[in-house]
Amino acid sequence: MSALNMRIVRPRLRSGSLTAGLILLGGMLVFSVVATLASPAPTAQDLNNTLAGPGAAGHLLGTDALGRDVLAWVAGGIRTSFEIALLVVALSATFGTVVGVAAGYLGGWLDAVLMRLADIQLSIPPLPLFIAASAILANNMLTLVILISIVGWVPYARLCRAQTLVLRERGYVAAARLAGRRRATIAVTHLLPGLTTEIAVLGSLQAGIALLWEAGLSFLGLGLQPPYISLGFLMSQGKEVLAQAWWVATFPGICLALLVVGFNLTGDGIRDLFATGTSGGIR
Amino acid sequence: MSGALAPPSDDALDPDAPAAAAATSRWPGVARYVVARVGQGILVLFGALTASFILVHLTGNPATVLAGGQLPLAQVQALSRQLGYDRPLAVQYVTYLGNAVHGNFGTSFRYGTSALSAVLSALPNTLTLIAVSIVAAVVISVVVATASVLRQGGWSDRMWRPLLSALQGVPDFWIALVLVLVLSVRLHWLPSLGYTTFSSLIMPCTALTLPMLASFSRLLRASMLDFTDSDVALALRARGLTRREIVLHHAMRNAMVVFVSYVALQAGWLVGGTVIVETIFAWPGIGTMLIGAVQARDLAIVQATVVLVAVAFTLLNLAADLAVIWLDPRIGRERVSGR
Repeated sequence: MSALNMRIVRPRLRSGSLTAGLILLGGMLVFSVVATLASPAPTAQDLNNTLAGPGAAGHLLGTDALGRDVLAWVAGGIRTSFEIALLVVALSATFGTVVGVAAGYLGGWLDAVLMRLADIQLSIPPLPLFIAASAILANNMLTLVILISIVGWVPYARLCRAQTLVLRERGYVAAARLAGRRRATIAVTHLLPGLTTEIAVLGSLQAGIALLWEAGLSFLGLGLQPPYISLGFLMSQGKEVLAQAWWVATFPGICLALLVVGFNLTGDGIRDLFATGTSGGIR
Repeated sequence: MSGALAPPSDDALDPDAPAAAAATSRWPGVARYVVARVGQGILVLFGALTASFILVHLTGNPATVLAGGQLPLAQVQALSRQLGYDRPLAVQYVTYLGNAVHGNFGTSFRYGTSALSAVLSALPNTLTLIAVSIVAAVVISVVVATASVLRQGGWSDRMWRPLLSALQGVPDFWIALVLVLVLSVRLHWLPSLGYTTFSSLIMPCTALTLPMLASFSRLLRASMLDFTDSDVALALRARGLTRREIVLHHAMRNAMVVFVSYVALQAGWLVGGTVIVETIFAWPGIGTMLIGAVQARDLAIVQATVVLVAVAFTLLNLAADLAVIWLDPRIGRERVSGR
């Protein structure tokens, strides 16, 4: 199709990206469950069988330096990644949406203060902040989720504010106001439904980013440590034995990349299908 | 992402624009824009300083963090008094801000020098890494995106796009590990640790470039296509320009406005984002220093690094905003849109 074409608007009822993304994510989930059931506990050590190569008896993807099964570890890591993604997206989407809708709908000084805060938030590079925070705070899943969400809520707030500014001028919102509905009710029943697809797009993209951050921090030894099962931590173990055992670092990396690509494709697909405006960029 | 931009000459065609308005200088508007951006930058730095202060005081007394739970209480209290952590928080905050403005973040006990000078001495190594990666990503993505727009739907376009989408999801530290595995461990082609020769740059820069390359070329391709689909492009086509001319001269320039801001944003994030890749290659930059400082609980270095990264980030974005004034002649001529 040549560009400079006539812009033909036709409804798109299918999206290749969405299908591919969902299949990828679903596949990873199934893989994680099946592999968890089929392998020994990820923390079970077998010091007689350290750094066994892929295909060794009972260890399809080999073992690490402590004889732990890489397949079991990868499967558990995928599960942890899903948990992190879900929690981070839930927390930051909720907070960001409330702030954004409030700022857009109520306006005034609240709007000014909230959006300046968001500006500042967006301008501080998160990784050094995470690292510095982990020097001070204890490492556990809750801390990590809160840290990533502290950075992650801003794009939701910006998006929701911008959309609310548009939606509040619509006739049906005016009608609801004339009918005497309370502002909170209008926000929930009339504004929120118009925001859901855009939030879903952002959420899907953010999920991939949250995974990368978790893995990165865990890789540095600042995120999740055992007893948590993290892909990033396994990769840091793999880095130590890279010369002898390539499989320890390689397989978790592939899984991580597949997860992130799955979330990105899903997000792109939802946008292709439903979203009207452009979702703000999220890193 | 903004939509397609109108070329500057469109003002003449706009019946709503009085001739007088077009003749007035756009500099007052530009000046207002610059002042607003600089003000915002100062606000951001203030925020970064405050954040790093809050962080260090999050658990109460930083002296307990320094002691790491290994010193008796009396010694912790003595340390606290010595470092001034026993004073009221407000007093500490104001002192901290005052010192920070003078570049004084305290003494690093690991290096025995001022924390700022220690971090500054490592900064050039990190900046080299970033500059090489960014330049490589920009050059390659401009070529890839232009080729893909010129031959939209062609085999290279169809081949590159899924590849780039996949690349965007691959963590840079995993690329780094695979590179080390293949190029150092197996083939012994490249040194895997430190910054000794020019070839030390190849692996860390490749690891940083590849994910950026993906997002850069996707953004550039999308905004160039935005332009070629616009009415402006249709008008240019009607005036007899070839599609190639439109893409190379008009779409490219229009796409640059968004692209420059985005590249600057990425460069800014990289200043603090090279940490993981740096630790893999034992690169003597601020990332490796930050991790070492965190492990040794050298809070002065940690604070200085966070603030320095925020400064670099702010300066880069400011530079990009100024470049955008030059690229987009509409800025300052009218109300600055977007807010």
